[in-house]
Amino acid sequence: MPSLSIQGLTKRYGATVAVDGLSLDVGAGEAVALLGPSGCGKTTTLRMVAGLIEPGDGSIRLDGVDITRQPAYRRGMGYVFQSYALFPHMSVSANVGFGLDERGVGRAERDQRVSQALDLVRLQGLGHRKPKELSGGQQQRVALARALVIKPAVLLLDESLSNLDSKLRDAMRQEIRDIQRALSITTLFVTHDQIEAFTMCDRIAVMEKGRIAQIGSARDIYDDPVSRFVAQFVGRANVLPLTRTGDGLSLAGAPVSVSSVPTGDVDLFIRPQLVKLLAPSEPASGLDRLTGKVTRVSFVGERVEVVVDTAAGRIIVEPPAGTTPPDEGADIGVGWRPADARAFRREDA
Amino acid sequence: MTGVGAGPVLKVFAALVYAFLLSPVLIVIVISFSADSFIVFPPTGLSLQWYGRLFGHPALMAGLQFSLVIAVIVSVLSLALGVPAAYALAKGNFRGREALANLFLAPILLPTLVLGLALLLFFQPLRLTATIPGLVLGHLCVTLPFVVRMMTTAFATLPDEVEAAAATLGAPPWRVAQRVTLPLAMPGLLAAAALSFLLSFDETVISLFLSGPRASTLPVEMVRYVEGRTDPMIAALSVLLIAGTLVIVIAVEKLVGVTRAIGR
Ligand SMILES: Nc1ncnc2c1ncn2[C@@H]1O[C@H](COP(=O)(O)OP(=O)(O)O)[C@@H](O)[C@H]1O
Ligand SMILES: [Mg+2]
Repeated sequence: MPSLSIQGLTKRYGATVAVDGLSLDVGAGEAVALLGPSGCGKTTTLRMVAGLIEPGDGSIRLDGVDITRQPAYRRGMGYVFQSYALFPHMSVSANVGFGLDERGVGRAERDQRVSQALDLVRLQGLGHRKPKELSGGQQQRVALARALVIKPAVLLLDESLSNLDSKLRDAMRQEIRDIQRALSITTLFVTHDQIEAFTMCDRIAVMEKGRIAQIGSARDIYDDPVSRFVAQFVGRANVLPLTRTGDGLSLAGAPVSVSSVPTGDVDLFIRPQLVKLLAPSEPASGLDRLTGKVTRVSFVGERVEVVVDTAAGRIIVEPPAGTTPPDEGADIGVGWRPADARAFRREDA
Repeated sequence: MTGVGAGPVLKVFAALVYAFLLSPVLIVIVISFSADSFIVFPPTGLSLQWYGRLFGHPALMAGLQFSLVIAVIVSVLSLALGVPAAYALAKGNFRGREALANLFLAPILLPTLVLGLALLLFFQPLRLTATIPGLVLGHLCVTLPFVVRMMTTAFATLPDEVEAAAATLGAPPWRVAQRVTLPLAMPGLLAAAALSFLLSFDETVISLFLSGPRASTLPVEMVRYVEGRTDPMIAALSVLLIAGTLVIVIAVEKLVGVTRAIGR
């Protein structure tokens, strides 16, 4: 399996810069997710990698070979479209065999590889059907089989699960991840869904406005976001306005500490899971703390969510499973380790 | 849709309108089987004599043959020129695309009388009047805009991603056209072929300007014939033309219907 290397990739549409000097390396056999909000340039990036859009600037290399100007049909990349883009006038087998025909694979081998691919995505026996005679999930599998059967240099998936209902999506996530691992296919996976990115990929590249904001493992990005955008886009965070005091920082009068503080107006970020519930007057050594009132306790599936109103603002706390939640209306303290908090520059509202 | 009671009234009304529209056709059909030697309605007796005489009429038969040849050439050329142009207009991304699209449609807005005269003035010095190339070019002015318009719509409704998928699977552009684009556009292609055939076959005004003694299309010969006399032979010819047109329209409807069914 080859490695993919993208350098300074740029695409402009008139005044909009869809992709803005994006650089990214995907190792051989690695799965990387491009995670970002709608309109941040994910599809444009993926299409440039596939050769479907000509880049304005930058380069794309496959195992060191420059393919930036190579037409799509020579790149040998498997692309799974969000709309599946199956050939409506062909049977499932003909759809899957399309790429093999174009490679001049002989009939016997073609039929054998098509049926292997259909087995892989668990569509045995449906080869004679037309795409419109299949459910959405089955069509998705045909699209996947069609892309896999050509033994692609790189597998490219564009929001490939977003048209499925949530149960099917969970199942397909696992299936695609298993196949990707078993065949160790170099994969670039576009999504705006963080769960998809977290469960299906080795590394995640968070995209913002045509650039990569942060790249790393799911853990790294969740625990150590480099910017306000990443902290807010990935996972949930409590955001509390900080005030500068003589030599430090305070939250509504209570002194707090944060490791690195940018200049200007800043906000404190803390994940709900990292906030501890304390008795109102409980001394808490090593924790920064606030006091407040419990305004709501809700059960969100298997988790408990406690909403505490403090002088600094509303804080959501997710206590560890098994803790007895406090009563609504009770006075309570909240605290966190300074190392778990982050400070980011305040955005102009 | 309609209230109780409005239904029957509306149906009767619709039936009357249809009867009004179709009555000339019905009268023509009856007259074509007339045994009389001039047009009277109702005929005093029935026979097939006018059909027999029609097939023995050299000028009309030559016109029919000439019209068929022209219509076939025009259909083939309309598709050969119009389909690539429509593809470029529908999928291309180039400067002046809008202007070009309008240019292709412009002849539709021109009265055929003006077009015919212009073509006559233009073709005469080139010695193209009363020739097959001249008539073909004249008819293309009528058929090409329609083909371009129909096929632009047909191509524009094809999802780009399906063609892109074929490209990523290793198909160079001409293979994408052959295996994906054209098969998916087949209903539109059939309809466009049939339409250009019928438009060319039916074209009278331009043909009148561009025909000559040894190169006349059927409509021109018909005009010449009825200038001389009116007898049931022209009715017999009309019936054959109506039947031929119906066969083409029904065939396209069936084929397009079938292609749609196996398509999506
Ligand atoms: N063909 C195009 N013409 C003009 N603007 C485009 C085109 N394609 C994409 N864009 C713009 O580029 C930006 C990125 O688009 P896209 O890559 O589709 O984002 P994403 O896939 O992340 O939602 C958007 O602002 C979009 O409006
Ligand atoms: Mg997209």
